[in-house]
Amino acid sequence: MPQAVANIEQLDEHLMEVVRALHSAVRQGVSHKDNSKVMDTAIKDCKEMLDEVMKGNVKEWLN
Amino acid sequence: MFTDKIEAKDFDKMDPEYKELLGHVLAIQADCEIGGPHLYVETMLPAAPTKLDQLIIARTAAEEIDHFRKVARVAGDIGVDVSFVLSQPNEKRFVDTFRGLITTWEDNAVFGFLIDRVGRYQLEEFYDCSYLPLQRILPDIVTEELGHIEYGYNKTLELIQSGDEGKARTQKAVDYWYVRALDMFGRSASIKSERYRYWGLKRRSNDQARQDYINEVGPILTQMGLTVPDPNKGRRYM
Repeated sequence: MPQAVANIEQLDEHLMEVVRALHSAVRQGVSHKDNSKVMDTAIKDCKEMLDEVMKGNVKEWLN
Repeated sequence: MFTDKIEAKDFDKMDPEYKELLGHVLAIQADCEIGGPHLYVETMLPAAPTKLDQLIIARTAAEEIDHFRKVARVAGDIGVDVSFVLSQPNEKRFVDTFRGLITTWEDNAVFGFLIDRVGRYQLEEFYDCSYLPLQRILPDIVTEELGHIEYGYNKTLELIQSGDEGKARTQKAVDYWYVRALDMFGRSASIKSERYRYWGLKRRSNDQARQDYINEVGPILTQMGLTVPDPNKGRRYM
């Protein structure tokens, strides 16, 4: 077997968790289309999570 | 022509050229997956016209992050670390299309409609490819990309139907992204492209894939009431 990249499993798990949390926030917002406050909270949660991913600070994520 | 199917356990035994090409194409694919959100999350998530659109942008970005994760795992399992692309500045992306920012709603819509469609073409190249771990992650990724293309198409259509001004802005966005989409297929005379095909890592030549794309997109644009841009104008990679 080839030598896998160190931390690939942890990175995989971390991103999987983030993606799950994002989908959960989106679902929460979409299922409350008539409730502006719930949608705003969902958008804010998504933005915070996405901003973290966009920073790409892998070392910080895996610490 | 190489016709075997390879698992990760066989990777070490493979020809150095195969290893190099597979690592390279996985790095490019990972970069393109995460390159999309880097183009629109910062600018379009707050600026989308409705809250629902904002949430759909977040969902699209989540799916692209998940695509990155899957490709990064396939690469990581054979010792190719692609995590650097997570923090790579947009100007350093492998593919020109991902260098910059999307700043208008029409660009965001047309990006989904035209560029995510190229993404689908890129992924389809790996159908039945010689590296089985890559082949296995494709179905779910392609299904989600189809959703992005459809959303982009619907939003593009909405803009066209919003009136003359919306249609003119959309045509301008199409003129901009269509050329970039065609360039994404690479040079027609690419030797590397032939080597990918030799090793069973891609199915079509760059030129064939581009021509298939032109044949698919042209009638859709016409049906939408838009002008198909000149496929040779403004191109960087012929």
